[in-house]
Order: sequence, then structure tokens, then C-alpha cells
Amino acid sequence: MVVTLPDRRLLDVTRVLYERTLTARYRGSVLGIVWSAANPLGMAVVYAAIFGHTFAPYYGNSLVRYAASVYIGLALGGFFIGGTSQALMSLVQNAALLNKVKIPFAAFPLSTLAAYGFQQIVGTLPLIVVTSLIVNHDVLHVLALVIPLAGLAMLAIGVGLLVSAADVYFRDVAYLYELATFLLWVATPIFYPAGIVPAPILHLLAFNPLFAILESVRVLVLTNAWPSVQLLGLSFLDGALALVIGVATFRAMRSQFMDLL
Amino acid sequence: MIALQGVGLERRTREEYAHDLKGRLFALAAGRYRRPPRRIVLEGIDLTIHSGEKVGIIGPNGAGKSTLLKVMCGVLMPTTGTVDVHGRIAPLLELSAGFDPDLSVADNVVLYGVLLGMERRAIEARVSEILRFADLESYRRLPVSTLSSGMAARLGFSVVTDVDADILLVDEALSVGDEGFRAKSRGRIEALWHADRTVVLVSHDLTLIRTVCERAIWLSHGRILADGDPESVTVDYTRAVDEAAIDALLRSRVDA
Repeated sequence: MVVTLPDRRLLDVTRVLYERTLTARYRGSVLGIVWSAANPLGMAVVYAAIFGHTFAPYYGNSLVRYAASVYIGLALGGFFIGGTSQALMSLVQNAALLNKVKIPFAAFPLSTLAAYGFQQIVGTLPLIVVTSLIVNHDVLHVLALVIPLAGLAMLAIGVGLLVSAADVYFRDVAYLYELATFLLWVATPIFYPAGIVPAPILHLLAFNPLFAILESVRVLVLTNAWPSVQLLGLSFLDGALALVIGVATFRAMRSQFMDLL
Repeated sequence: MIALQGVGLERRTREEYAHDLKGRLFALAAGRYRRPPRRIVLEGIDLTIHSGEKVGIIGPNGAGKSTLLKVMCGVLMPTTGTVDVHGRIAPLLELSAGFDPDLSVADNVVLYGVLLGMERRAIEARVSEILRFADLESYRRLPVSTLSSGMAARLGFSVVTDVDADILLVDEALSVGDEGFRAKSRGRIEALWHADRTVVLVSHDLTLIRTVCERAIWLSHGRILADGDPESVTVDYTRAVDEAAIDALLRSRVDA
């Protein structure tokens, strides 16, 4: 397989589109960033109020620990689902433009994901890092976060490319993906502990690529321990696999895009 | 130079394509799926446009004129044949098509310039000059939504004509703004038309084609019917259109 680096033009276009999205969304205000931090925080409080007492035994009888675990789930799961859902529509939404000028197709899903990612990272990562430092006083734990987070970024790009291409072919993909992300939301331990899932089902959950990413981050942030090499490796490799599949599929399909846009 | 060899283009007809995954899966399961029919948009186009040539393309609506431009600039890939382009190509778009109303005027210039194929750094260095030409320097930081439609068109014109390209593809004539700006824009269009630049112009304005082009191509049903001196090609074209009109008129008399 020949690996080619994204060219200059793709990067240039991705960057202007990314800046357009960010500027248009915030018009220079920090409110959007505050919102993306406050939203999962508020949700985590609500989850803790409702499920806290039931699930606390899985978190050393600590409501705060449960809430922090939910916060991580909401922040990362929210990025994946929100970002890919927006990337899904990006090609079809810009069909008129693509019919006038030759623009690298991938710039649309990539810039959408980058803008969404920037908002989420700036909004939620500081609290996650601070929590980790409070819990384990270890910078290495914080640095190791790069592994599952890179996995998450690659997973989101791979899936984002895939669904944006699928949307060009079939315009009902958005509805089907909404259903799929709802199932993913339930089938991922975002607001419940993985420990409540019966063993045979838990083996199936390991195929959910978000699972290893979330669990790795939780171990790194909320404990003194290190995640197993297997778990940490999986959190990265699942993303890399999704990226390779996404890029290969997108490249194979893109020659037919203009016929359908 | 632009060289098209045996270029043909087939496209799906929009109506025939289901655009629906569920529908497609059910159709496949029931064995009712058939490939959507395809429509021939361009067929057997052999065409070489040399550097510096000014070529006009004429023909009735739906003849494939705009599609031919899209094939030349790489928006559409031909189904058969090859397209070979030497030199930087710039499409002169429908003015103000790529603007984002929420972004500032200056940001829009950069966005539009990059979308049109310029390098980011190159267009950033040109922003002030472009705004000066458009008489919009005082609007630099304001969103494009605060501009009147005439001002937006002026801005679009100033960006697209600021290009440094060897080949210009123009779909319909460019004319914008009030009297003062029109005189200015005419000057710039004439500058764009300079000797060593290749220009391909699609227009229904036969007088314009005769004045500014040295070669005319008559396109009909996706094929080249005539290619040569603009005078004779436009005269033949006008005659064919008139004859068709008379035919239609006679036929309606006979029917009546």
C-alpha cells in the first residue's frame, strides 16, 4: 500500500474551512468553549444525582468518583458522536460549492472534525488533566493520555470520512447513523460501570472501539494504577485501524462523488 | 494549453437515483434493483486550445457548455478520454457564490481565494489591495452580511479577477456594480484578456463572442458541431436557430 501524505492544498483548504467554522460559531466569544465545558459537567451532576447511589459501590463508594467517570465518558463519547455526526453532512452540505471549484473532498469532513475537536479539547481537557493530577500526582499519567486520545482522534477521522462518503451515496444515512449512535451510546459504558455488564456481553463490548479508549482514560485519570498494555494498545490500534479503513474507502469512492452531488 | 481527447461524460439522471439506503437494500433483497440509467452529457470531444487563444463556446441551453468548463477545470472527471491542462487554471465563478455571510469581509477574501486555488499566504498578502479595488476598505472587519448585494458582487469580482492564472474559464459575462465601478471593472477585464492568457468564455451573447474571441465552438447535445472563425460559426448557429424556430412554427400551423 502506498502511503501519501496529505498535500499542501488539502491542508490550506482544511485550515480556512476550520477557521470559518470556529469564527462563525463563536464570533470571537469564549461562550462556546464555556458551554462545551459546562454541558458535560451539568450532565454528570444529573447522572450522579439519579444513578449515583446505585453505582457508587463500583467507585469505592464515592459519588465524586462516579461523577468524574461519567464526565470523561460524556466528554469523549460526546466528541466522537457529535463530531462524526457533523462530518457526515459536510460533503452534501457543500455540494453547490464542489460543483463550481475543484476542492479536495476530504477538507470538508476534516475541517468539521477539527473545529468540533478544538471546542471539545479546550472545553473539557483542562478539567480532566487537573483531576488526574489531583488523584495520582503523576505527570506520566497525564502524558500517557496522548495514547488513547490519539486513538480517539483517529477513530473519529476514520469514521467521519466513512459516513460523509456514505451520505453522498445515500441521503438517508443521517437517520440511520443517528440510530447507530444511540445504540453506541447505550452499548458503551458512558454513564454506567463496565462491571454491571454480564461477562459474555462484556466480551462483545470489547469490540466497541470506544470501550478501550474510555477505560484507558479512566484508569489514567481516576486511579494510581496503569491500564494494562493490552487495553492501552487496543485504545490506539482500534483508532489506527478505523483511520486506515476510512481513508482507503474514501479514496476508493471519491471519484464517483461528483456524479451524485 | 488545454487538450481534450475523445472526452465523453455520462451522468446519472438525478430523478432516477434513489439516494436511499433502506430503499436500495429492500430492492436488492426483492431482486428488483437495476442500475440507474445514465445520460450522455458530452460525447467525442476532441479539442485543443493553445496558449493565448481566446475561445468562445456557444450553443443552446443543455448543450453541455458549462459541463465542458467543469471538465476542463477538473470539477468533473470524464467517463472516457483524457484531459490535459498545462498552466494554472482559474474559474471565474458566479460572483459572491462562495461567501460566508457571518465572516468578516477580510476573512471572506482569504476563504474565497483559497477555495479558488490560491495559496493561503499569497491571498493574505493581497487582501488590502483587493479591498481597495472593491472600494470596501472601511468594511474590512464587518461581516459580509452587512454589505449590500451590489457591494458583495463587487467584492466577488475583485477576488476572482485578482487571480494570477494562465487560463481563465468564464461562464457568462461579468458585469457588476454602479457606473463608476463598471468603468473600473471593464479596465480590469481588458487587463485579464492580455495576449498570453488563454480564455475560454461561455456566453449566449453572440456579439460579445464575435468581438472578444478569435475562435468559436458550437456545442449541441454534447458534441462539437462547428469550430472555427467566430463570424462564420455564429452566423451558422443563428441560421440553425432561426430554421428550427420556423420549422416549429410551420408544424404548429399544420397541426392547427
